[in-house]
Amino acid sequence: MMKKTPRFYLIPLLSSIVIGGCATHTRYVEPTGPRTLVTSEINIQDFSYAAEDMVKSLLVSGSLDKTPVQPAVLAISRIVNNTTQQIDTDMLTKKIRVALNQSGKVLTTTTMGIGGIAEDPLAKDIQQEKEFYADKKEPQPLPDYTLSGKIIEKRDSQNKIRQVAYIFQLSLTDGRGLAVWEDEKQIAKQGKQSLIGW
Amino acid sequence: MQKTIWLLTGFLMSTAMVFSSCTTVNTVGRETPVGTRQMIADKRVITDATLNRKVSIVGLNENTTSGGFLQVQIELLNQRNSLQEFSYNFEWFDMNGMLINTPASVWIPRHIEGREALTITAVAPTTTAKDFRVKFIENVR
Repeated sequence: MMKKTPRFYLIPLLSSIVIGGCATHTRYVEPTGPRTLVTSEINIQDFSYAAEDMVKSLLVSGSLDKTPVQPAVLAISRIVNNTTQQIDTDMLTKKIRVALNQSGKVLTTTTMGIGGIAEDPLAKDIQQEKEFYADKKEPQPLPDYTLSGKIIEKRDSQNKIRQVAYIFQLSLTDGRGLAVWEDEKQIAKQGKQSLIGW
Repeated sequence: MQKTIWLLTGFLMSTAMVFSSCTTVNTVGRETPVGTRQMIADKRVITDATLNRKVSIVGLNENTTSGGFLQVQIELLNQRNSLQEFSYNFEWFDMNGMLINTPASVWIPRHIEGREALTITAVAPTTTAKDFRVKFIENVR
C-alpha cells in the first residue's frame, strides 16, 4: 500500500483554503426575521419594532375614527433626528404610513409638506393646473391630522457594559392644534465595551 | 488534601453560577379580578419542545377594538428560574384564509425574567383580518 506523505494531505487542504477563500459568505436574510444583525447602532429592525408598536397604539386608540369623513387625511410633519447618526426618518414614517393606509383609516397627502415643499411636486403641479382650468376654484382639502415626532439617543456605560437607548416619540395633532394621540417607544441594547472607542 | 480543595472550589463556583443567573419575579394582584377575559381555545404546534418547556403559553385572550380591529393578547409564563430570550411574530389572515402582508409584521425579540408572566399584544393590520397565527422562536442572535 502506498505510504501517505504529508503532501498527500497538504495539497487538498491548501486547495480548499484557496478556493474557499474566494467564495463570499454573504447570504440573504429576512429583513423582518430573527436572524438580522444586532448592532449598537440604530438599524432596520429598530425602525420596524417602533413602527409596529406605534401603529398598534394608534389603531387601538380610536383617534383616527373621529373625523366626520373617513378615511382621515394625514400630512407628515417634521420628525427630528436627535441621534448621533445620520438616519433617514422615512424608515420610520413610511412603515407607519403604509400600515395606516392598509388599515383603511388614513390617506396620506403627498402634496403638502413643511415650508410648502411637496413630497410629490408633480402631483402638486397637476392639482394646481386642475384648479386653474376649473371654472370654480375649490380650496385644497386640508389634512385632518399631522404626524410629528422625534428620535432620541441616550448612551450609558458602567463596568465595561455599554448601553444605548433609542427613544421614538410621535404625536398626532388635529386641526385645532391638539395632540389627540401620543406615544413613545424605547429600545435599549447592551454590549461589552470595546478596548478602543465606545 | 488537594482533591478536597478542588472539590470545594468546584462546588462554590457552581453554586455562585446557579445563584447569579437565577432571579425570579414575585407578583401580586387583585384576588378576584374585576375584568373578564375572553379566552379562546387554541391549537398548538410544538416543534421546539425545549422552548415550550422554558416559556409556555398560558392562554389567548381576544377583543375587538372600537375601530373594528381584532386585538389578541397572549399570556406567557417563564417556567424556569433564569432569564429567557425569545422572538415572536404575528401573522394575520382574512376571511378567505389569505395572509395579509403588512410592513409592521416583524419578529419581535423579548426577554422574560425567571418565573415571570408576560403578556404580548397585537392588533390586526386591517378590519378584514379574522384569524391569526403566532410563531415563537428562541433568539438566534
